[in-house]
Amino acid sequence: MSITDELVKNLLEELNCETAFTIPLFGGIEVSESVAVTWIIMAVMTIAAICLVRNLKVSNPGKKQLILETAIGGIYNFFEDTIGEHGKRYIPYMMTVLLYLGVANLIGLFGFKPPTKDLNVTVALALMSIVLIEYSGIHQRGLKGWIKNFAQPVAIIAPINVLELFIRPLSLCMRLFGNVLGGFVVMELIKLLVPVFVPIAFSCYFDIFDGLIQAYVFVFLTSLFIKEAID
Amino acid sequence: MFTAIGAGIAVLTGVGAGIGIGLATAKSVDAIARQPEAEGKISKALLLGSALAEATAIYGFVIALLIILLLK
Repeated sequence: MSITDELVKNLLEELNCETAFTIPLFGGIEVSESVAVTWIIMAVMTIAAICLVRNLKVSNPGKKQLILETAIGGIYNFFEDTIGEHGKRYIPYMMTVLLYLGVANLIGLFGFKPPTKDLNVTVALALMSIVLIEYSGIHQRGLKGWIKNFAQPVAIIAPINVLELFIRPLSLCMRLFGNVLGGFVVMELIKLLVPVFVPIAFSCYFDIFDGLIQAYVFVFLTSLFIKEAID
Repeated sequence: MFTAIGAGIAVLTGVGAGIGIGLATAKSVDAIARQPEAEGKISKALLLGSALAEATAIYGFVIALLIILLLK
């Protein structure tokens, strides 16, 4: 019984979003750990972006620039295929979210607590996604067309379409959060059973593969929904 | 005791996801074998379907975790 109690205690500790530090302004703003880690990710990515885009040339590009162009072009083409011709303006947002989620899911390898394990982060991301989806619908069809679209293809399923407004962000955030947390819990259980060597193989799947797949699925679903909203 | 049983029952949702993903993968392997040039599109659809099917299992897992952690 003591092992399970210990595990539950550990899990509860991990589930709680601890306060990393408090900003002494307006009576103390509490900054939770996920926000602090997000700032670290932002700093790393900003520095990486600055370093990578320096000295870009139109003629005679270097090796670094070629790799960068291939990677960015590949991701861009992938989104262009999914989101369609009219949705091109949303691609930069999608790529940003993809990069953020990819780094956030992998940062557990470096000893940080992944921000996506905090439900608040995934809820915020899902809310941003649903706002963008509905905004893209309004932008493309106009307010009237957007409202009319709820009654597509038959008027009788309008309640289900309205319900989808809430189901989509819920399922987006729960999928991301549940997957990251699930991988983490399974890893903890494996570490409890066999502390040496075996976790390495599983860590490759749960930490690296699963995290990247979930980042991909999140942006892929969002872009599919946007395409549906604007087509 | 009963909370543990409840959590176990909640995790049974994984059965559906397992069957669903298994069926989807079998069909996609079939499709790729028939039409290898369409592999890109097929694997894209497979990934999406698997993610959607997996969601039910994840919901069950989250509920089980909530039961264990909150009702303890």
